[in-house]
Amino acid sequence: MIPLKYNVRNLRVRWKTTLMTMLGTGLVVWSSCILFGLVEGLEYSLRVSGEPLDLIVMRKGSSNETTGGFASSKAEEILNLPGIARDEAGQPLAALELLNIPIAQRKDGTTTNVIIRGVQPASRNLRPDFKIVEGRFLDQGKEECIVSRNLSRSFKGAQLGAELKFGEKEKYRVVGVFTAGGSSAESEIWADLRDLEKNTGRVGTVSCVQLRAATAADFEKLQATLNDDPQFKLAAIPETVYFESQSRSSLFLKAAGTMIAVLLTLGAMFAAANTMFAAVSARTREIGTLRALGFSRRDVLISFLGESLLLCMMGGAIGLLGTIPLSSLTYETSDFNSFAAVTVAFRFGPLVMGVALAMTLAMGVFGGMFPALRAVRLDVILALREL
Amino acid sequence: MTHNSASIELKGVDKEYRRDEFTIPVLVNLDLAVAEGEFLALMGPSGSGKTTLLNLIAGLDRATRGEVNVHGQDLGRLSDALITRWRADNVGFIFQTYNLIPVLTAFENVELPLLLTHLSKRARRENVATALRIVGLAGREHHYPRQLSGGQEQRVAIARAIVTDPYLLVADEPTGDLDRATAGEILELLEQLNREFQKTIVMVTHDPLAAQRASRILHLDKGQLVGDVTQEGRISAAS
Amino acid sequence: MKYLNYIWRNARRNPVRSLLTIASTSVCLFLMMILLSFFAINDEVTGSVGVYNRVCVLNANGFAGRIPIAFMNEIAQIDGVQAATPFSWFGGKYHDEILPFAQFAVDADTAFTIMNELTIAPDQLKAFQTNKNGCVIGRKLANERKLKIGDPMPLERDLYPVDLDLTIQGIYDGPANRDLRMCLFHWGYLDELLKRVGATGSASEAHLSGNAGMVFIKCKSANIMPAICKAVDDRFRNSDYPTRTQTEEAFGKMFAEMLGDLKGMIRVIGMAVVFSLLCVAGNSMAMSMRERTTEVAVLKAIGFGKRLVLTLVLTEAVLVATIGGAIGSLGCKALCEVVDLSRYSAGFLPFYYIPWPIALEGLAVALLIGFVSGLFPALRAANSSVVDGLRKVI
Repeated sequence: MIPLKYNVRNLRVRWKTTLMTMLGTGLVVWSSCILFGLVEGLEYSLRVSGEPLDLIVMRKGSSNETTGGFASSKAEEILNLPGIARDEAGQPLAALELLNIPIAQRKDGTTTNVIIRGVQPASRNLRPDFKIVEGRFLDQGKEECIVSRNLSRSFKGAQLGAELKFGEKEKYRVVGVFTAGGSSAESEIWADLRDLEKNTGRVGTVSCVQLRAATAADFEKLQATLNDDPQFKLAAIPETVYFESQSRSSLFLKAAGTMIAVLLTLGAMFAAANTMFAAVSARTREIGTLRALGFSRRDVLISFLGESLLLCMMGGAIGLLGTIPLSSLTYETSDFNSFAAVTVAFRFGPLVMGVALAMTLAMGVFGGMFPALRAVRLDVILALREL
Repeated sequence: MTHNSASIELKGVDKEYRRDEFTIPVLVNLDLAVAEGEFLALMGPSGSGKTTLLNLIAGLDRATRGEVNVHGQDLGRLSDALITRWRADNVGFIFQTYNLIPVLTAFENVELPLLLTHLSKRARRENVATALRIVGLAGREHHYPRQLSGGQEQRVAIARAIVTDPYLLVADEPTGDLDRATAGEILELLEQLNREFQKTIVMVTHDPLAAQRASRILHLDKGQLVGDVTQEGRISAAS
Repeated sequence: MKYLNYIWRNARRNPVRSLLTIASTSVCLFLMMILLSFFAINDEVTGSVGVYNRVCVLNANGFAGRIPIAFMNEIAQIDGVQAATPFSWFGGKYHDEILPFAQFAVDADTAFTIMNELTIAPDQLKAFQTNKNGCVIGRKLANERKLKIGDPMPLERDLYPVDLDLTIQGIYDGPANRDLRMCLFHWGYLDELLKRVGATGSASEAHLSGNAGMVFIKCKSANIMPAICKAVDDRFRNSDYPTRTQTEEAFGKMFAEMLGDLKGMIRVIGMAVVFSLLCVAGNSMAMSMRERTTEVAVLKAIGFGKRLVLTLVLTEAVLVATIGGAIGSLGCKALCEVVDLSRYSAGFLPFYYIPWPIALEGLAVALLIGFVSGLFPALRAANSSVVDGLRKVI
């Protein structure tokens, strides 16, 4: 085999071309990785949001907790069902929640819709790793709210001590800023359930009940009761299933990301091929010499493919490393089901690395293939005569 | 400017190259006068400064010190842009490796210098045809350089050199890549250009037989003139 | 222009290289067209609705808020209002597909007066108006799902606890930049079903009926639109359901703003792609020029000036990039004219096309890429030494 050192030296000698090609492929990998980092962040948030023993109870037929709604009286009865897990104080781990999606203003003056969730104290324990990072939890009935850290950064009036106003009637004082382990709650504002009911004119209505079963057996039983008992006739959906079905918006991002990655890989492939063709034609005589020395066609093929791969890998590595500074980045857009704002934290994980690797391999192999084949097909005698 | 009997005149010319902190003298205090219509051969060992001298005369390079006058023009006084323009009007170049543009046909290669003039397309075509006829390549207009033999390529190059009807032709080893018979033909062509069209020719060559065709032979060594032979027997436009 | 022949031959000198550069440029510009159009279409459509003098009345709390149907009747009485319709998003499932296409409950008598850019045959409109459970669907929806007049259009519950049992009474058509995949049906039919559920169900379900969702108004002239917006909001400010009234244009803009950081991100990606192309095209041009060192020296020897050499190289780079750009941007535009990409967006995009300004922007970007990528190789060629270039051993 022709030693790899030979390729490394060649890349170094043509350092300008090498650098330009690396930058070209690196930028391409980088921009695709941004999107996949967001897809990964979104999927992560949906994954951690779903606790295996948690149920979301909604009106039958609703596909989203923002769209349905049923009577509070029915919801209150759910809290009394046996099999619900209890906290240290012996209170059931279940909460009635009401969602509203008012228009809110960002700091830059543009507007969007955000989810404001009317909660009960138990709601905290139903979210993974719920933490107040600033201020305190809200008091009931005092028109107070707490805001997720992501929203607090980008929305007007969402900072600790400020007042959030929605429409003409809703006003909440921000008393706390929270995080929730990267789960979907991090795109929400929480207020007291009763306050929200009153302010939105929906007294006696809840959007959903969130609850945690004590055991797997209780989980099954609760689900059956809520779904089929004529007293309820609701839809009790396992949280894991619910959040999986919410990944529709991640599907769109994923599809867009895939399209971008595929097209850009194609573009970068041509660029890599260009560089490798130039490398082959500049080294025609060298190739002839190597062949004359007894290296086989396969050796030459492997050598040039290897060089192409090496070139693209270096570019890919630059692109991948370039995404690391983005890991503190959160971006805010709207969910296409509820038309409400979602914040997504960029996440550098296996998906991003997989995409970078796949792109790099595709560029390196397909970009290097034709130039390498040209090198292989060179006639030894003619190649040696080449000036 | 009064007409000078010597149409190429070098006075006290030094040429040095800088390589890192070293200064390498290539031409040292060189004086030379060439009359209009002379066919001058420059000979000498490698590194003697022949090509550098040729480059100075052709306005490709500038003297470090001294004066280079060609056809009444002090080249040292011309800016880069003006000297480029001057070359286009006054000098035709012939190279050892022909240096034709591979993607252009013979016709288009010869036409290239005419693109710099204001001639109409038709006038250009006529001039190219004339030049190709003079070098004996009529009928080969549409061949690409790789479809021509070495001798034919050099004829195209000569046609390109004369198409603007320059006053001076410079040739750097014009026969270096050719076999003896073809070389003879090319030299005959140069002689003919000198004789019939009164072109002043400066030719660098290694080949004594080629130099025999010239009306005057200069020998250079280590940047200095070491011999100057006017060949009485040759018929030249100057005599 | 007389140099064009030479430039063209140079561009074709290493056909593989030029083709690869062109391919790279065109693929990347194709992508850029698709991304940029996404936002441009929205802006273009939003900008084009101004002439219809329409305003939208929403609950001040946004889409989830309620607009009592009584409001609509009050609004219709306001001076300067030509017609008003409820415009209520049903969001039902169609054969288990979630959000397959837009479905709105409207007032059949005024809907097509208000959305007068949509066309429908008079007899079909008549049939729709007289059939309580009738609906009209857009031409594209009909074509893609092979639906015709008389076919059933069942919409299952999702947002609302009722199923709709509709029959297609008409098919509307309209300009290319309107959603031609909507299903419009009688608001009264939906409300009747909701009332029935409310009578038997709980208090919260009783609350569902009588909601117009949104009110869509056509004003008699453009200059009274601000006054009407203000009049509506003033009237309901102290009611239980304060409103937020804005022109259709502002409403569309709000949708664009909802996309939030997505726009900035697409821009960043676009920039990265342009830089990437600069590297790719610049590299290709630099490789070409390195191979032509002697040739450039010859050109300069025979009298080609710096500026001319610069121009020749730059033009070549621009030419190659522009060919790539033209294939990418115009090709993408042509493709989108032939293939309706919105069909594959699962109802997310009502239509998709490449607006001319975007296609031209793509060409301009390609031109710029050619110019910038050619600049360094061109400057290098222009300033290279003739003597060094002619030296026989390089």
